[in-house]
Amino acid sequence: MKHSVNRPPTPDAAEDQGKEPTLQEIINIKLIESGEKERLMELLRERLIDCGWKDEMKALCRAHVKKKGRTNVTVDDLVHLITPKGRASVPDSVKAELLQRIRTFLMSAAL
Amino acid sequence: MSGPNEDKNTQLSSHFFGDLLDSIIVDVASECHRIAKLGLDRNLEEEEEEMRLSVQARARVADPSNSSETNTKYVVDIFGQTHPSIATEIFECMNCGRSIAAGRFAPHLEKCMGKGRKARLK
Repeated sequence: MKHSVNRPPTPDAAEDQGKEPTLQEIINIKLIESGEKERLMELLRERLIDCGWKDEMKALCRAHVKKKGRTNVTVDDLVHLITPKGRASVPDSVKAELLQRIRTFLMSAAL
Repeated sequence: MSGPNEDKNTQLSSHFFGDLLDSIIVDVASECHRIAKLGLDRNLEEEEEEMRLSVQARARVADPSNSSETNTKYVVDIFGQTHPSIATEIFECMNCGRSIAAGRFAPHLEKCMGKGRKARLK
């Protein structure tokens, strides 16, 4: 008998896709489909501009560009540059407001 | 009100907040990158030019071979221009109508307006 007869059956393509989406993925889809994700993003963007956070980040980028020279800078460089400071310097009030909105959405979308 | 659901909610909220923030961070980085590459940040270019000129000027001042005479004649001002020590712009004297060099105007005017009488009015 050929060894090939004993090999495991080819996984069913449909079955493979049947991997359960995580709760996170489900909620993400709901956020996007309802348009809430977009609204939240605009809200956060606005708050971050108002409190000067965006200006701070832009200043960091400009300083880096000045140091390294315009031609040598990549988007990746800048992202890595401002991510730690960016995450740490969001004002508490802004964070709280967004978290509250998200939590409200989660509860209303309760499964 | 605490419980496993509450914690999960908190965790999820934080996750999505982080998600939103990361997206915004990438947007800001992308914007700054674009501005840098397109040279839209005029201040940056002006600053680079100023730096260059100030380094030059500093070198010139520090150079011991420059005598103070040469310095006053050929020193560079903050706009990078040099001026001859005697202003050379020419214009017409409003009194006598002659063409006079700006740097010579004051002594000319002294004589010009004093013509007709040697003694000056006090």
